[in-house]
Amino acid sequence: MPRSSSTLVTQITSDGRGIQDFSVPITGAISAADLPLNPPSEGVRGLYLHVPFCFHKCHYCDFYSIVDALGRHEQFVHRLLRERDAAAEAMGDTPETIFVGGGTPTLLPAASWRELLAGLASSIGPGLAEFTVEANPETVTGELLDVLVAGGVTRISIGAQSFQPAHLQTLERWHDPENVARSVERARAAGLRRVSLDLIFGIPGQTVDDWADDLARALALEPDHLSCYGLTYEPNTPMTIRLRRGDFEASPDETTAAMYELTRHTLALAGYEHYEISNWARPGERCRHNLLYWTNRSWWPLGPGAAGHVGGVRWKNAPRLSEYLESSGLPPITDVERVDADGVVGERLMLGLRLIDGLPLGVIDELLATGGRGSTRAAAIAKHEDAGRLERANGRLRLTETGQLLADLVLVDLI
Amino acid sequence: MPTRNFSIIAHIDHGKSTLADRLLQATRAVTAREAREQMLDSMDLERERGITIKASAVTVKHHFEGEEYELNFIDTPGHVDFAYEVSRALTACEGALLVVDSTQGVEAQTVANAYLAVENELELIPVVNKIDLPAADPDGVAMEIEQVLGLPAEDCIYCSAKTGEGIPELLDAICRTLPPPRDPVTEKTRALIFDSHYDDYRGVIVYFRVFDGALRVGDRIRMMGTGRTFTISELGRYTPQPTKLKEIRHAEVGYMVAAIKTLDDVRVGDTITIDHDPAEEALPGYEEPKQMVFCDFYPATSAADAGKKGDYEDLREAVEKLHLNDASFTYQTQHSEALGFGFRCGFLGLLHMEIVQERLEREGGVEIVQTAPTVSYEIALTDGTEMEIHNPAELPDTATIAEMREPIVKLEIICPNENIGDLMKLCDGRRGLFKGQRYVSDTRQILDYELPLAEIIYDFYDKLKSITRGYGTMDYEIIGYRADKLARISILVNGQPVEALSLICHRSNAEVRSRAILKKLKKQIDRHQFEIPLQAAIGGKIIARESIKGVRKNVTAKCYGGDITRKRKLLEKQKEGKKRMKSVGSVNIPQEAFLAVLEQGD
Repeated sequence: MPRSSSTLVTQITSDGRGIQDFSVPITGAISAADLPLNPPSEGVRGLYLHVPFCFHKCHYCDFYSIVDALGRHEQFVHRLLRERDAAAEAMGDTPETIFVGGGTPTLLPAASWRELLAGLASSIGPGLAEFTVEANPETVTGELLDVLVAGGVTRISIGAQSFQPAHLQTLERWHDPENVARSVERARAAGLRRVSLDLIFGIPGQTVDDWADDLARALALEPDHLSCYGLTYEPNTPMTIRLRRGDFEASPDETTAAMYELTRHTLALAGYEHYEISNWARPGERCRHNLLYWTNRSWWPLGPGAAGHVGGVRWKNAPRLSEYLESSGLPPITDVERVDADGVVGERLMLGLRLIDGLPLGVIDELLATGGRGSTRAAAIAKHEDAGRLERANGRLRLTETGQLLADLVLVDLI
Repeated sequence: MPTRNFSIIAHIDHGKSTLADRLLQATRAVTAREAREQMLDSMDLERERGITIKASAVTVKHHFEGEEYELNFIDTPGHVDFAYEVSRALTACEGALLVVDSTQGVEAQTVANAYLAVENELELIPVVNKIDLPAADPDGVAMEIEQVLGLPAEDCIYCSAKTGEGIPELLDAICRTLPPPRDPVTEKTRALIFDSHYDDYRGVIVYFRVFDGALRVGDRIRMMGTGRTFTISELGRYTPQPTKLKEIRHAEVGYMVAAIKTLDDVRVGDTITIDHDPAEEALPGYEEPKQMVFCDFYPATSAADAGKKGDYEDLREAVEKLHLNDASFTYQTQHSEALGFGFRCGFLGLLHMEIVQERLEREGGVEIVQTAPTVSYEIALTDGTEMEIHNPAELPDTATIAEMREPIVKLEIICPNENIGDLMKLCDGRRGLFKGQRYVSDTRQILDYELPLAEIIYDFYDKLKSITRGYGTMDYEIIGYRADKLARISILVNGQPVEALSLICHRSNAEVRSRAILKKLKKQIDRHQFEIPLQAAIGGKIIARESIKGVRKNVTAKCYGGDITRKRKLLEKQKEGKKRMKSVGSVNIPQEAFLAVLEQGD
């Protein structure tokens, strides 16, 4: 059986270049069981499950997914639960958050979901604060929603992307925009109180008015949470190939910037708090699972292609379904990286400043004192404060409104 | 033994090298098994590009009408950049095979080469090749040869170098039709150098044809053009295996080794004579190689490292080594604020430039950044003196210039009838002077133009190919210098002039060129944190402007669990990328910008 050979664990050094730290001698692949994980003192907070099935691969998406499941749903669910069993000891306590992403998790049939949720019951303790499932509008049925709610799911994140067929078509999304409203209604009817919508702006050909219309139609559905993403041309996606080929022109920066500003303004008026560069929530409705990422906490990954972060080590389950299904215990992993002290400082700044509230000044001081490049980073912070991209407010350092659109310009100097 | 000295001339890809191989095989100089494909082309590069860069000479035997003939086959380079070398090689012959592909017909280089042969008073045998191909139209092509070159169609020999059909007839025709070598005209020894190459172990190997007298091993010889003297240590010829000889006599062709250390000491076209008993007069036609196209080569490294010695030293070594093999390009040290240390090099033409660049990269193992080519200009100053410049930066103060002259070429294009209009538009747009138009056949014509070399060194050939969908061919010859209204355009980035971006162009299209350049520059330079004005100026006068707006948006939209490592690496890459730029003032200009902006876009 061919196995992954990426077994090098990389140490991120203070100059930002990775060097080989240690390698695990293997004949087959390594799994997370081989990782020298220091059990995090706070325990593993979150659990991420990746369901790598899609009905159709959207042209902008670079997540691992396969279109032709060949009836492997049932086998996948079994394997996922065995993986969870194998990870149970390392994970410690039951998690605070569970997030099922994809792929298209709602492409799993209701029966598979019933079995998966029954199996996951032992991972659900009194401390579980949030259990999110990602859904595509066209796959949300009343039956499925009932199964989800009965199994403990508390939140659904619906990939609406746009309400205009022409723009959906550019993205190679084929759902009927009406399905979004239907999905939201069904979710509420099934008792899922927390509903989030994903929208994309900066689609080629999309005008600021089109986007204003999308926002209005999303708000009309009264979601608790909105993620609004500027379209990103990820490498190796059909969207990027089509752009390079000249099929269309990327939306000009001026237009996408105007759309972002409009979003901020519109959603603030509608009572949503802007809490991360691309995320807005009604008070108390921020996504706790995603906050684990931005606050650099620990979470455990399940499923092929899922990425995890535990005890200062990042890794990814190998993104190959057949290999995953054939493995036992913890599956083969790849892209293993232990982040050193300076790397951790860089990542905490990179992630923490994505939050609109930024980081407490005390934390900033502590981070600058830890990293190997405290004075360089301090100088960069001062430079960007002078340029009006960073500011201090309420005892915290955060991006200004201008800075939110130029975050990478700031973060590149801080990692 | 009767002797025939001949060359093969053809348009590129018309099968010259295959025909040469087939002739060697047919005369059993090599067996089929020995016959590497295209035996005479010795360099990889030549084989890949399908062109012959360096000539060599092979001697074979052929029986004709009961007599054994000695045939000396002199190979020639196939491109007009080497017109001088070709003409010297032709001078060493009495006849030439003019090869035309029966599926393609007469092309621009066919015509140019045929004229060159006729000017050198060679007898031509027209050969229609590739008759084995289904698309072959030998009769039509023979008519084209008659129409364009005046060689009777019935004299054409039809053959297929691939299958061997017609090859015996061709060998017979060489013996029957081509004239024998002329008799000696002097008692003294005179041999014409038609090629040379550098061998790592034996030094320079000189190829020559003896016209008068003879050369022997041990002779002290003198090069009449350069005055240098050497002692012959080895003589021989290729059959095609090298065969050493004690003596090479009148009318014969051969090679010599004479402890010659550099190609600079040997000039193609020069006459070899005996040092103690020299000829009074050299053979005619010797010229110094003249470089017409110039560009800079810099080591391709990050600008942050530019100026570091290592890469420059590697490049210098590669340039010096290649110069041993090709003395027809010139080089001198150059320093650019933007690109560090490098070399300003001069070439015979565009193809020559490309070949040198490729050989430097391939044989020298260096990576090169090449700047846009320019031509050499003659400047007449108001004080009556003259100068020649190869670089816009060398142009003196405009007030001191009385006249600027640029090289003009005679251009010949062969193309399908339906493209004539578009090609005339192209030539007119490049300041072309229409000289005439002739029919090759019912479907194709020859267009004659004169136009500035500067106008064809960028993308003229690409344009020609795209207009004619690949069917058009061109050839050019430099015919002299002509005065015109030329001006230097300076490019200012954020208010600062950037020397490496300046260029010389005609006053009438300075605005158009400038706007195109600024547009390209705008695409190449990333948005900065501030607005960057881009300007083009002649003297103090701004003739075009653009601006690169300050960055408005630079933010990663999604950063979740699986993205974190990747996003961090992307940011690290951005940081690295910044270092690889050349800073002019506070603006980072990528290296590619220096090259891309000078491509001429319409």
